Amino acid sequence: MDHARLTQYLKRQMPHAADLRVLGLKRISGGASRETYSFDIEWTENGAARTRPLIARRDPTGGLLKSEREREFRVLQAMNRAGLRVPEPLHLELDHAVMERPFFIMDRAPGYPTQGAFPETEPPALAAKIADQFLDELARLQALDFSTLRLEVLGEPPALDRIAPQQTAHWFEIYERDRIGEQYPVLTAAFHWLRKNPVVSDRVVVVHGDFRSGNYLYDHDGMIAMLDWEMAHLGDPMEDLGWASMMFWGREQFAGGLMEREQFYRLYEQKTGRKIDRERLFFYQVLGNAKMAVICLTGIRDFAEGRTADAVMPFLAALLPSLLDDLARQLKLL
Amino acid sequence: MLRPTLNEMLAGLQRTVMETLLPELTSPYAQAQAMAMIGVLGDVASRLDSLPAYHAAEQKDLAATLKALKRIESRHVPKKLRKALTRGTRAAGNKVPDHRTMESAVTEFATALALGELDATASRLIRGYLKRHTDRLRATLARPLPS
Repeated sequence: MDHARLTQYLKRQMPHAADLRVLGLKRISGGASRETYSFDIEWTENGAARTRPLIARRDPTGGLLKSEREREFRVLQAMNRAGLRVPEPLHLELDHAVMERPFFIMDRAPGYPTQGAFPETEPPALAAKIADQFLDELARLQALDFSTLRLEVLGEPPALDRIAPQQTAHWFEIYERDRIGEQYPVLTAAFHWLRKNPVVSDRVVVVHGDFRSGNYLYDHDGMIAMLDWEMAHLGDPMEDLGWASMMFWGREQFAGGLMEREQFYRLYEQKTGRKIDRERLFFYQVLGNAKMAVICLTGIRDFAEGRTADAVMPFLAALLPSLLDDLARQLKLL
Repeated sequence: MLRPTLNEMLAGLQRTVMETLLPELTSPYAQAQAMAMIGVLGDVASRLDSLPAYHAAEQKDLAATLKALKRIESRHVPKKLRKALTRGTRAAGNKVPDHRTMESAVTEFATALALGELDATASRLIRGYLKRHTDRLRATLARPLPS
């Protein structure tokens, strides 16, 4: 990301800011579906010196997801308005001429992410507190009335009996496109199982699409912000719960590395005031494993075909065995 | 012997990245990419050694599984899978076995297993293959991600 062009862009966006400077611009790891840059801005306003830590997220040349450019920004705006723990989104730029590819700028929240599961090295009391906050955020997200959120970018709400088939078809289509001729017997079987056993939702909510350990920032006081909203869509509330509690993101008995799985489910029920439909939860955990395997295949394809030079992408192949094992166990294929 | 060998070249490149490139990099992102490159080069070296054995074992297992299914076809294979089985066993009998066709046939059986369409005898054969297949995949591919 070009420093001078970024500075000029911000000066145009903030005409009230005198002597605006961009400091410490650097690309950071994480958020593999977009290029992520961290920087600070300094400016003078009404005679007072001001600073603000920011993040820029730019569409990649290739990457894990083919996300729509506006989606994450608009959803962040809506969640910020609704009072959820998200960084404040500031500027969205869709014109390729400005910085080669679309990007947006948001506040940089403090704290640090986990690498997947919440670390066992952290105090159990902190894990319990974050589990509580994590499920609190999920319950608040699922309690929102999407029709009031100005989220046209998510499209029309699907019919309750079309949600599961649409999600299955969406990920199966990407699987067919990105498996580059390879056959994965367990994954193919799982998609056929999903097509044959669709569940019917009880309501439509905003689904984050990647609500899990690894996608929030935290510090010793607890959870600070939920990130990575680019897969948000309208769907079944069990989708986010199923994804968050997949074995893949946690440890054998600990959802997300945070809390014993059954306790996690009970806490979700307390927070939402709704009983978990175990059949739907299971469906979305199978879909979740299949979806994650497909996301890995997309990253592998983009690397193999030269759309991304990110050297981490080949490691995605290393994640497949665990996902396929989980799927095979879920569907009693072993 | 043509020296350096492929493994020696890969190990040398790992050292080049570690000892000459990495100390010159100041960006944390570039440093992380260099570390990932070292990991990828190590992965390539390990796959050079393990992939031929993986492919040979996979091919042999697919052929054996299909032949075993063929032996029980009349009593235990659903009619809708018989064409796939015929394609698969023919592919297994080729001078150079057609891996994709065999895999595709076994995938149809795996799908039937997931959908509860196989009896206990056929299920046992497919479960056995899938267990060995996922074990082989894990042994060949699974490794920690770079942090």
